Amino acid sequence: MRRLLSILLTCLLLAAAALPLTAYAAPTQELTFALNNVPDGIDPGITNNSFASPFLFNCFEGLVTTSTADGSLIPGNAESWTISDDGLTYTFTLREGLKWSDGSPLTSQDYLYAYKRVLTPETGAQYLNLLTDYIVGAQEYYEDAAAVDGLGIKAPDDRTLILTLKSPAPFYLSVLTMWTFFPVNQATIEANGDQWTNKPETYITNGPFRISENLLGERVVLEKNPEYYDADSVKLEKVTFRYILDLSTALMAYEAGDIDGTRGFPTSEFQRIRANVPGLVIKPSYGTTYYDINNAKAPYDNPLVRKALNLAVDRTAIIEEVIQTPATPAYGLNAPGYVVDGEDFVDGRPTFGMGPTADVEGARAALAEAGYPNGEGFPTMHLSYYTNDTVKKVVEALAAMFTENLGITVEISNEDWAVYYANVIAGNYDVGAMGWSADYLHPMTFLPLLATGDPNNVVGYSNPEYDALVEKARSINDPKEAMEVMRQAENIATAEYPLLYMYYGSQSMLMSPKVAGYYLDYSGNVLLKTAEVTE
Amino acid sequence: MRGYVLRRLAMMLVTLLMITALTFLLMHVVPGGPFTREKQIPAEVLAALERKYNLDDPLWKQYADYLGGLLRFDLGPSFKYTGKSVNDFLTAGFPYSAKLGMYTLVFVLLASIPMGIVAALRSGRWADMVLMAAATLGVTIPSFVIATFLLYLFAFRLGWAPTFGVDKWQGYILPIITLGGYSISFLARLMRSSLLEVMGQDYIRTARSKGISEVRVIVRHALRNALIPVVTVLGPTVANLLTGSFVIEKIFAIPGIGNHFVNSVTQRDYTTIMGMTVFYAAFLISMVFVVDLFYCLIDPRIQFDT
Repeated sequence: MRRLLSILLTCLLLAAAALPLTAYAAPTQELTFALNNVPDGIDPGITNNSFASPFLFNCFEGLVTTSTADGSLIPGNAESWTISDDGLTYTFTLREGLKWSDGSPLTSQDYLYAYKRVLTPETGAQYLNLLTDYIVGAQEYYEDAAAVDGLGIKAPDDRTLILTLKSPAPFYLSVLTMWTFFPVNQATIEANGDQWTNKPETYITNGPFRISENLLGERVVLEKNPEYYDADSVKLEKVTFRYILDLSTALMAYEAGDIDGTRGFPTSEFQRIRANVPGLVIKPSYGTTYYDINNAKAPYDNPLVRKALNLAVDRTAIIEEVIQTPATPAYGLNAPGYVVDGEDFVDGRPTFGMGPTADVEGARAALAEAGYPNGEGFPTMHLSYYTNDTVKKVVEALAAMFTENLGITVEISNEDWAVYYANVIAGNYDVGAMGWSADYLHPMTFLPLLATGDPNNVVGYSNPEYDALVEKARSINDPKEAMEVMRQAENIATAEYPLLYMYYGSQSMLMSPKVAGYYLDYSGNVLLKTAEVTE
Repeated sequence: MRGYVLRRLAMMLVTLLMITALTFLLMHVVPGGPFTREKQIPAEVLAALERKYNLDDPLWKQYADYLGGLLRFDLGPSFKYTGKSVNDFLTAGFPYSAKLGMYTLVFVLLASIPMGIVAALRSGRWADMVLMAAATLGVTIPSFVIATFLLYLFAFRLGWAPTFGVDKWQGYILPIITLGGYSISFLARLMRSSLLEVMGQDYIRTARSKGISEVRVIVRHALRNALIPVVTVLGPTVANLLTGSFVIEKIFAIPGIGNHFVNSVTQRDYTTIMGMTVFYAAFLISMVFVVDLFYCLIDPRIQFDT
């Protein structure tokens, strides 16, 4: 009897122990996420296309990387680095035992190969400047591969990579988070040429994931890369990136529960989503929406005219009534987001008369001072934009504000991006829609836009004082000191209103609340390394 | 007959050649190039890319090279998507577009011809009114409106069809209805008017006066002739259905080739613009040719001069 009892008891205990195990089934670590744009390629050395980022940032990793916890810069393939006192030499030490997704060892030679490949004209690397602008001898090597001795990229042993810069650039570590600086596998590229990105078996990666299926224009499936050094942190076994190009369809699929997330949705639905749809993720973007003003063309060469335009805009109305997505008014080129010792670059920045709403009197006074009282005699303004639904609405609102607040005549014109951009570059415009989204988290991604001779300075603004300060800031090692100089530079420019400042926007996407651990960064990159399905 | 076929084939080639030449020229005249991106790329990179894709050659040489490739059925590399060729786009996307197009074609034929016949035979009565009202709606409502409405009602609200893609067979239902809507309406109206016209002809009266049954009159005598205009428009219809629709493939997230027709133009992806144009043109011309061959089967009055 006692024996029977003990057996029963044991069974009961076992059953009790087993109970929580059976009741709790671990969720399958699989995710389906909709992308709404097909990238122009997924070769990290070549593309500058932001639509490639879901693949590049999740399949590769560079020397330094972005923390999925708070977006800070953390060691990646490099476990540590030292920067020489003069700020010119960066010495990286790679982690021990790094491997490619095919199991072959990854060494500093792979980094050297990748960077030389970017510096080879035949590669057609679109972010070439991220190397040639900073690294010693990079431009010379690009022009003539025989100049390899002078190239400031060296790999003295398998775990050491040394980069030598032309002048100190304290922000260069953030530049290195860009995919242009990811290593690529020499063997697969030499065997497959530019087809290496097409097939899962030839797309050798070194990051948290690798590609297991790649169906052009339909879906790309990622699987966990078991060779990744930090594979233990990677929870997702499978990520399906499904192309749903129509934003309404993507939203419908999300709301129906057919997908776990979508990168985009119709912005016209934003208010409804914020109120009723769970899973909305919003992040201020490190980017600025502005309008180019043709500084080289009369009457826009007069700073007073540009001031009048800037003062005539009701930014709050545009944000709340037109774009209807989270944004803050812009009073300068730099977006908030760059912080030194707890102080944001834009903290305490003068606004030069610009405000959240229009200052009609101030605007009219500036226009009168420029010789156009009540807009009389002001030539018809050609306000141009590229085909885009949101931009169209903003342009219409802007035109109404200029007409009403300044008394000038505005003519709106629209072209598709390729034609529009060509016209802007050629200076065939008065005022045109534009914007800049940062490549890396540092004001130096913005400031060159107004520097004399910079290829991206399409407004024709030129001020030697500004140029000198930007140049000076490049070589200041102390971040605090550099920030002061960059602020001075920006203020000099803003005082002359080279651009029509509009707003700092935001990135938003939808991700099911059952998914945790992912990170949406300021550029809209979705980092899935530590993402997991929790229920 | 053989002479006719050979002559037609030669004409088709000339037509194609003219289409390629015109497209090639127009495409290069439009401002903006294939490497205009979100951000400006350095001038030296642009030069390197143009060298890579032989865009620095004189235009006539580029065209000659393109024709040379065409002879080998090589449509060239995409300028936009690194590592992909236009042939890749076609082999990946055309099966989706063609499959959807075939199903739609069957649906269109099964629906439109009976609709047209019933409407013609019941001309002026309520069945005719209802069918023709529906057909008018089908022609006038844009497909993206129909698509959005169907998707919202049947996929989202009722859950009878998936919200995107054709991974399951149910995924085909809504795209078929949307894609076929216009053709059904158009063909039904054509069938109706054509049959009505034929029914008023002398030889039909003659047939009836001979005492032949009404069914036989319609099926044997009237339909055969009434179908000729329908067969005529069937050629272009088949080409249109099978080569995909930008709007429908986008809304239903079907990875067909319809997308490339529009995007290649906005992106100035020269080879893809050419490839899509040549593909569609060749398809269309061939279908028109096939239709012409069919004429002799259904209409004894048409004969090929030899």
